[in-house]
Amino acid sequence: MNQSTNPASNNSHQDEFRLDGLAPEHDDFSLEAETVEADLDHEPVQDCLILNTEDAEQPETSAQIDLDGMDKPIHAVSVINNAGTNNSEQFHEVSFQNANSLLESLEAQDVPVHYQCREGYCGSCRTQLLEGEVHYTEEPMAWINDDEILPCCCIPKTAIRIKLT
Amino acid sequence: MSYTTFNQKTFDTLKQPMFFGETVNVARYDIQKHKIFENLIEKQLSFFWRPEEVDLANDRKDFIDLPEHEQHIFLSNLKYQTLLDSVQGRSPNVAFLPIVSLPELETWIETWSFSETIHSRSYTHIMRNVVPNPAEVFDDITRNDFITRRAVSVTKYYDELIEKCSFYTQLGEGTHTINGKVIDINLRDLKRTLYLTMVSVNVLEAIRFYVSFACSFAFAERAKMEGNAKIIKLIARDEALHLTGTQHILQIMAAGKDDPEMGEIAESCKDEVREIFLDAAEQEKEWAGYLFKDGSMIGLNQHILAQYVDYITDQRIVAIGLPPIFNAKNNPLPWINSWLNSDNVQVAPQEAEISSYLVGALDSAVDTDDFGDFDL
Ligand code: FES
Ligand SMILES: [Fe+2]
Ligand SMILES: [Fe+2]
Repeated sequence: MNQSTNPASNNSHQDEFRLDGLAPEHDDFSLEAETVEADLDHEPVQDCLILNTEDAEQPETSAQIDLDGMDKPIHAVSVINNAGTNNSEQFHEVSFQNANSLLESLEAQDVPVHYQCREGYCGSCRTQLLEGEVHYTEEPMAWINDDEILPCCCIPKTAIRIKLT
Repeated sequence: MSYTTFNQKTFDTLKQPMFFGETVNVARYDIQKHKIFENLIEKQLSFFWRPEEVDLANDRKDFIDLPEHEQHIFLSNLKYQTLLDSVQGRSPNVAFLPIVSLPELETWIETWSFSETIHSRSYTHIMRNVVPNPAEVFDDITRNDFITRRAVSVTKYYDELIEKCSFYTQLGEGTHTINGKVIDINLRDLKRTLYLTMVSVNVLEAIRFYVSFACSFAFAERAKMEGNAKIIKLIARDEALHLTGTQHILQIMAAGKDDPEMGEIAESCKDEVREIFLDAAEQEKEWAGYLFKDGSMIGLNQHILAQYVDYITDQRIVAIGLPPIFNAKNNPLPWINSWLNSDNVQVAPQEAEISSYLVGALDSAVDTDDFGDFDL
C-alpha cells in the first residue's frame, strides 16, 4: 500500500496503477483546462433517476411471482394522512395488489410518503400501522416503534389501516 | 476502571451493557447482544466507495460560471461539510471506543468512523477539481469565525466526554484535584454525558448534514455541480445508516433494559435533549443567514432552508421518541428525496456482489413473526 504517487518515481506502470487517484494530474491544474466542455443545457441528472417510471400498481409485467391458479390477493389500504398544513387529516382509500412494496403502491396511487433509502435502513418512511399485518420482504434495519412499519420494505398481508405523520 | 486493550477477565458478553461495562476482549461476533450493529456493519461494508470514481470535470467549468454569491454558498457549504466529517472521522473512535463493552458495537463504531474518512477524502477530491487553490479553502476552516463557531457546537459534548472519561479511566470515581482544579468524577454523570453526546452526534449527522445536503443538491437540481452531487449522494447514503445507528443506540439506552441507570438518565434528560435539538436548529438557521448573505440562488433561499431545518429537526426528534418542536410536517424541498436516494449512483462493482450476497443471506420464506422479537 506504499505505492508512491510521485510521478518522478517513474516506471511504466505508473499510469495504470494509482492507488490514490488523481493527485498527479493536478500538477498542471489550470482553470482553462481544455478538457472542460460542459453541456450546460442538459437536464439535471435527477430526471433520469426517478425510480418508478411506470405505475407500480398497473405493471405491464408483474414483478411478483405468479402463483399458479391463484388470483393475486388485493388488500385494502386505508390511509390517514396527517401531513396537511393545518393539522387537518386527509383520508385515502387505496388498494395493494401488484407493487413490490407498500411504498411503491402508495406512490402509484398518489399518496406521497417520505423516503430516502427505500431499503429499510434510513427510517424516513416510518409509518404507524393502526390495523392489519404486513410482511417484510427485506429485514428492516431502521429504528421503529412497536406500532410502526417501514412501507419501503413490506407488503400487506391483510387489509391495513395506516397513519402517515 | 482502567482501559486495557485485551481484558483478561472471563465474563458473559451478553450481560454487558453497550458502554461502561467490562472492556472488550475477544472480537467475536458469534454471539451478539444487539444484532442490529452487525447488520449496520455489513450494510456499511456493502456501501464501500471511492471518491476518485466520480468524475468532476464538468463541475470545474460550472464553478467558474457561478456568480460570486453562489460560489460563496457552494464553498462555505463544502467547508462546513469538511468540518463535520473531520470531527466524525475521529471522534466516535476517540470518545466511544475506550468505554464500549460489546464487540459488535465496537466494530460498528470503527466501521462507522472509517466511512467518515472516505467522506473527508472526497472533499479533497472535490476541492482539487473545482478550485484552483484548495489550500485557501481548507485554511479558512480554522480562520473563518462563522465556521469555527460551528465547530464549537459540534464538538463540545464529544470533548467533555473524552475529558471526563480520561480522568475516569486513570483515577476512577471520586473527587480529584488535577492541576489545582477539583474535579468530581462519578459514573452516573459520565453516563449522562455519554447520552447527551450521543444525542449531539445524532443531531450532527441527522440534521446538520442534511441541511448541507440540501444546499449541495440545490445546485444539482439546476444541473450545476452534478459530480459534487453524486459524491454527496454517496455520503448521504452512509449518513442515513449512521443516523440509524445513533437512533438505535439512543433507543436502547432509553429502554433501560441494557443498563437500567441509562434508562433513568434518558428519562431525566428529556428537556436537555430538546434543548440540543432546538439549539442546533437555531444554529443551522443562523448559518443559512451566512450562506445567503450576498443573495439567494434559484430554488433555495434562507427562508426555505430554514423551513427545511424545522421539518428535518421534527423528523429526527420524533424518531428518538420525543415530541416535535416545530410541528413542521411538510417537506418544503420535496425534490430532495430522490437526490437523497442513491439507487441510481454508479458504484463500484463489488457493491453489487455484496448486496446480492446480503439478499441471498435472507430467508425469502421468512415470516413477519420472525421479526417479532428483533431487538430494534
Ligand atoms: S425509505 Fe429508508 S427505511 Fe423506508
Ligand atoms: Fe460523514
Ligand atoms: Fe456520519
